[in-house]
Amino acid sequence: MTKIEDSSLRRITATVLAIAIAASFTTACSSDKRELSEKAAAIVTGECRDERNQTVTIYSGRTEYLIRPIIEAFACETGIDVRVRWGNSTDLAILIGEEGTATEADVFLSRSPGPVGFLESRGLLGTIDDEVLSLVDPQNRASSGSWIGFSGRKRVLVRNLDLVSDSELPESVFDLTEDRYRGRVGLPATNGSFEDWFTVFRDTHGDEVATQWLHDMVANDAEYYPNNRAIVEAAGRGEIDMGLVNHYYQYQEAAAAGDSHRAENHDFGPNDIGSLLIITAATILGTTKDRGAAHELLAYLLSPQAQLYFTNQTFEYPLGAGITPNSILPALSALEIGSVDFDSLGGGFEETERIIRESGILTG
Amino acid sequence: MAALKRRSALLERVESSPANPARGTAAAGPPDRRVEGRKQAPLPLTAAAFIVGVLFAFPALYLTWRNVTSDSDPLGLLTSSRTLEPLRRSVVLAVLVSASTAVLGTALAWLTARTDLPGRRIWRVLLPLPLAYPTFVGAAAFIRTLNPGGLANDLLEGVGIDHSFELRGLFGAWLVLTLFTYPYVYLPVAARLRSLPGSLEESARLLGDSGFSTFRRIVLPQTASAITSGALLVCLYTISDFGAVQLMRYDTLTRAIWTTRLADQPTSFALSAILLVLAVVVVAGERIGSRRLGERRPARTNTSRPLTTPLNRWRLPGLALVGGTIGLALVAPAAALADWGISGLVRNATGGRSLAINASDVVGPAWNTVWVSVVAACVAVFAVLPTAMLLARYRSRVGPITGNVIISTFAMPGLIVALAMFFWTLRSNWAAEYLRGTLFVLVFAYVVRFGAQALGAAQIAVAAVPDRLHDSARVLGAGSFRRLATVDAPLVTPGLLAGGGLVLLSTMKELPITLLVAPFDFPTLTTKIFQSFEDAFVAEAGLLAMVLVVLSGALTWFLVVRRADHLD
Repeated sequence: MTKIEDSSLRRITATVLAIAIAASFTTACSSDKRELSEKAAAIVTGECRDERNQTVTIYSGRTEYLIRPIIEAFACETGIDVRVRWGNSTDLAILIGEEGTATEADVFLSRSPGPVGFLESRGLLGTIDDEVLSLVDPQNRASSGSWIGFSGRKRVLVRNLDLVSDSELPESVFDLTEDRYRGRVGLPATNGSFEDWFTVFRDTHGDEVATQWLHDMVANDAEYYPNNRAIVEAAGRGEIDMGLVNHYYQYQEAAAAGDSHRAENHDFGPNDIGSLLIITAATILGTTKDRGAAHELLAYLLSPQAQLYFTNQTFEYPLGAGITPNSILPALSALEIGSVDFDSLGGGFEETERIIRESGILTG
Repeated sequence: MAALKRRSALLERVESSPANPARGTAAAGPPDRRVEGRKQAPLPLTAAAFIVGVLFAFPALYLTWRNVTSDSDPLGLLTSSRTLEPLRRSVVLAVLVSASTAVLGTALAWLTARTDLPGRRIWRVLLPLPLAYPTFVGAAAFIRTLNPGGLANDLLEGVGIDHSFELRGLFGAWLVLTLFTYPYVYLPVAARLRSLPGSLEESARLLGDSGFSTFRRIVLPQTASAITSGALLVCLYTISDFGAVQLMRYDTLTRAIWTTRLADQPTSFALSAILLVLAVVVVAGERIGSRRLGERRPARTNTSRPLTTPLNRWRLPGLALVGGTIGLALVAPAAALADWGISGLVRNATGGRSLAINASDVVGPAWNTVWVSVVAACVAVFAVLPTAMLLARYRSRVGPITGNVIISTFAMPGLIVALAMFFWTLRSNWAAEYLRGTLFVLVFAYVVRFGAQALGAAQIAVAAVPDRLHDSARVLGAGSFRRLATVDAPLVTPGLLAGGGLVLLSTMKELPITLLVAPFDFPTLTTKIFQSFEDAFVAEAGLLAMVLVVLSGALTWFLVVRRADHLD
């Protein structure tokens, strides 16, 4: 028995050694970062420039799938080296809050305005220069200059095609409290974009109306789901009839599941709070050591090639460079952008969280 | 080779030496080794355990600091129903899941280690695997397979059964957590059973006890400490779990911590502190409880082979239990992952939407996952060993305190552990410059987060080495190092491997710490899966998760199960 044991100890040592050798090997191999992926190459318009010894560190709440090609193309076209920490916007904002002025981040990209408001309230955001700010319409950026929108996602109602007929579709989110929708609507009540949306809802219609709506939804047996994706997936299976979500998950789920995904987006009327555009925001940290490189990155996010990529590849709404949205997306109307002061989101966020918790939606 | 022969020769001599009363008489059962009868702990061991304890306390100290310096009010929160209700749900869920995993894990361990159940070797490889699913993927895949409109539904509809039952709430969370955490009990109990002599059971059988009566009267008392230490891990895992309760929509304390983390940080920190106190109470309670239990620990002897109980007419129910567990805990989620992944591959091949990942997106992260997890598992085992030895062998104050710190830390949300790493490295310019964002800190964070899983197993393993064996070895002239290498190492290895295996599987699927603490450009399979899932790239998530589960299985077999089997 002990003989086997001793040889197994030897094998463990050999395994660990092999791992160490192979680890150093792979590190050596991965040093060539300038090789462009296919998607990134499609974004690059000119030639790649020589590296110029500048680095931008991004904390990105947008995932690799959607934004990495743009970052690769940026590195190629500017010669600026880019480091990225990928994660969830909320957790990354909390991390920056913890690091404070010692943060390594130069740029923070957020999926939704809430985490940006958190950083602004901590005084950690720097001011973006006017030349870059002017790349988007005033309603899509902070009046203080602390953040700038670079793409948008619209709130819609996703519905199962077999369970909800066209004639049953509501004209407004306010209709969803009616008896005919009892137990049929999913809400991603703890999701960042839902919370942002609800904060704007409160801002637009007043706390009383918004809170009443949520309570009526709970009384109407609205179903809680943890996030947009779960609702879209459940609607595709027919587990739930419909739900309030961001528009773009439907395109990903449909592309992934094909015909077995029996769901479709429904756009509320142009004047309805239910069709709000949620902006994904870019910010520059106050402590950045290279404001120039950080500004170049933001400008690149708003360049025509990046904006085209957003609307054609990730099915989002472009916000800059005069690019028109992909024709498969529901049309935008005047009210959806511009009528809302996003700066109030950060401060109003805590109250939103409290109202949602106290509504009982989480335990229903 | 000569050295190897010498070592084994020593162990054989020790075991057959007349100075070893354990030889052949284990069935009589040595008396309890009470704390009073133990030796004073050697200083180096105490010092090592103390230092490890301080390092493990980093997250708790950070959390305390945040609570003291912000306007959070844990005591005030404790009186509000907003806190008490989720707290109550956490406790209810933890009690239920601990109880069910204790029963299930023990039954599975006994069936695969002690009976003539067909296919034992395969079951031993498969049974630890549900631990490989990150709960955020596993629970989602589970829902995808079993809930209305899911894969099982399609299957049942095919044979004419209408299935509209939906998993959610307390029942859903209980079921998913039981299926994903029973290996915390199964692995240590199986390891314990492997190192127990079969002689007692043999005597019981000879005296006419049935298989199950033998199990109740002989096996259960001897494995009690493995069961309770496993159930304790399950309990702490359950109160700290977020993925499953979130997807099953069961509103526990962790969900309150999570939903308030940005909007209301002081509350989030206060709730985390309440969670930590709850964990400390649970751990202390387990310690007191198991001391009362006064477990009998017969010495291990190699002269008697473990007994194989024939199942006879219980063979089918036994197979049904093992097969059913594998079916629900391993196959059901795997089916959804495969469905996502394979339809993505088919689409890719037939000119539909192409996959957003290629081979290099899998190989690099898979490699990172494997080697950092193996390193973390090894470090974790060594880190907890001094504490395990103090607890098992010596009279010491440091042992129980450090042990409590190590185990309670397991209930800390990953986010808090990650933030604590930044908090502490940023205390000094030197650490901020040279440590932040390095693999060193990442491994440290993993070890702190998961060391608890190695401790229970290590403690049982160390306790299983009879003092007499040491005494005999000393009489035979072996020095302390030689005793460690020749007497302890072979006997404790199965237990340590089981503990290390748990840390390995947990590290491979760890998410929040990896996302925040890992160096830049250090993708792992879990961070890739998270990103895929976050933006509904389910085909990619399915493929990556399958790679993770298969890799976990291969590693568990290669590093844990195979070696432990050799030691039978």
